[in-house]
Amino acid sequence: MARVYNWQIGREMSYWYPEARPRRQFAAVFDINKCIACQTCTLACKTTWTSGKGQEYMLWNNVETKPYGSYPLAYDVKLLELLGGQEWDGNRYAGRTLFEAAPAGERVLGWHPTGEDYAFPNAGEDDCAGQVDHGEFFALPHARWFFYLARICNHCTYPACLASCPRGSIYKRPEDGIVLVDQGRCRGYQECVKGCPYKKVFYNPLTGTSEKCIACFPKIEQGIQPQCFVNCIGKIRLAGWISTPDKARPDNPIDYLVHIRKVALPLFPQFGLEPNVYYIPPVHAPDAFNRQLFGAGAPQAVRTYREAARDADLAGLLCLFGSTEMVVARFRRQGEIIIGADEKGAEVVRVPLREPVVVRPARDPHTQIVRINCP
Amino acid sequence: MSTRCYWLAGFLLVAAGCSRGPKLVNEVVAVETTRLPEGPRDRTWRDAPEHRAALLVQDLVEPRLMAPSTPEVAVRALTNGAEIVFRLEWPDAGADDMPGPARMVDACAVQLPETIEPDLPDPQMGQEGRLVEIAYWRADWQAWVNGRGDTIRDLYPNASIDHYPFQAKPLEPGSAAARELERLYSPALAAGNLRAGPRKTPVESLIATGPGTLSSAATQNATGQGVFEKGRWSVVIRRPLPKGLGRDQRTHVAFAVWQGSNQEAGARKMRTGWIPLVRRAGS
Repeated sequence: MARVYNWQIGREMSYWYPEARPRRQFAAVFDINKCIACQTCTLACKTTWTSGKGQEYMLWNNVETKPYGSYPLAYDVKLLELLGGQEWDGNRYAGRTLFEAAPAGERVLGWHPTGEDYAFPNAGEDDCAGQVDHGEFFALPHARWFFYLARICNHCTYPACLASCPRGSIYKRPEDGIVLVDQGRCRGYQECVKGCPYKKVFYNPLTGTSEKCIACFPKIEQGIQPQCFVNCIGKIRLAGWISTPDKARPDNPIDYLVHIRKVALPLFPQFGLEPNVYYIPPVHAPDAFNRQLFGAGAPQAVRTYREAARDADLAGLLCLFGSTEMVVARFRRQGEIIIGADEKGAEVVRVPLREPVVVRPARDPHTQIVRINCP
Repeated sequence: MSTRCYWLAGFLLVAAGCSRGPKLVNEVVAVETTRLPEGPRDRTWRDAPEHRAALLVQDLVEPRLMAPSTPEVAVRALTNGAEIVFRLEWPDAGADDMPGPARMVDACAVQLPETIEPDLPDPQMGQEGRLVEIAYWRADWQAWVNGRGDTIRDLYPNASIDHYPFQAKPLEPGSAAARELERLYSPALAAGNLRAGPRKTPVESLIATGPGTLSSAATQNATGQGVFEKGRWSVVIRRPLPKGLGRDQRTHVAFAVWQGSNQEAGARKMRTGWIPLVRRAGS
């Protein structure tokens, strides 16, 4: 195995191939606090990409309720149990990654879901932590919590699917870092399905090959955000490009949220894949749970997010989420206006920091009638 | 000895002759015959000598098979001078022919060097510049060839499907436009991956120049048939006779067996090293 640097765990680690970062890396930020689990993203993806034979069970995008929801069933807790308890030393991960914990004869520590594991995509939906009984919900603040976790492929810097494939059928595009299964080369050994900790590679039993989220690369190539982003009702998603921390740009929306404000965090960074979908953690989930999902920086990220209302730059950038179909590669604030631009600096959208509010008197002075407040 | 005793002795001798096992040989002997068998139960196999090849775990490249499964494969071979047919038999507790997530299928393969020469390529899938030819049989392909449908309900009988876009109006069922849309929703087929089918034979012709290099051969010239009976797979694989393999001449052959129930696929397999393969005249 080669030695590579993973900035998310603050150290070098072992990986199957030498470090080879793409010229630019597709990345995204999901604001968990805005997600209502309407599954419009799931359907947008499903109807676009996985409506074929053998793809019936595939959800390249899914939204699960945490803490009890998961698709496939228990994908995360099974792996956490396999990996065993591990430690963070401040912002440096002191435990073993999935590559370092691989058993003899394996490339990655993983497990293989069966058909039954895919049969319950709504397991745990809207179930909150603990039992809501004994009148606990009458008390404030609520002691119980849940949140929705929207998931796509993380287009990892160190993909476990790519490392697992014994025949090099999975590749990471040098031009945008998107991870793809070569459908002409795959022979359906399912090693990638077993190896991916996020279980975002799916085996198609009718073609005998494995398939996965492609980050809607035909759209990305045109500077347009993927289907699950532009169809998001809650406007929780922003697609863009992430730099390494040493090259972070304050005018790059993803860099700003991830590297500069550190308000958006990777999912299960301890697995060691350097995933490139970043989450603004849920503000009402316990710190311990957030730390397990999003790493050591989760409590501070929640505090920063809670202060966003008094932070014009951060709040303004959050206003750009869902404001345009185009990929926003640069942003700037001019007073109360936030401007999003493409990579060449050309403006693609501008949004107000605060939506103008107009309050009309209940009685219309011209017609002398009372207005009815309906849409 | 009475007449009855002679009859009894004669009967016992005949019975012993009938129950005598196959002639065992320490290399694979391809016996010349005018008619090649179509299936594993063909009577032509009866007198062919058998080589029992011990199988080794694939423990050279990751992912490895860490514990042995199928112990050996019994091999017979026949040739008509143009083609060669191998029959591979091995024990298996059950037939695994249903593909799916974490559902692997039973399979076997025959590997030969591209050319007959004393210096052999690596037995493990060949090596760079030293190509090997592989004929690969799979139990799920056999089931399709035998008539099993190619839909999700054939694999999961209780599956519920609303509709597929290519089956929706205004597309007419079976029209060229409907077929084209169906192909686009089947990326491996659209990419021309032979692994995806559709196939008329349960065998694929492949080539390799080392682990991880396996690819479909330009010419698909292997066929076969597999039957599972009484806890045993019997599979015949038919392919062209290696070029230049004249009577009493030798090349080499290697075999691999995958046991689906043991999660074997790809590199996780039981395999042999090179075994001498000699062509002999028929009796």
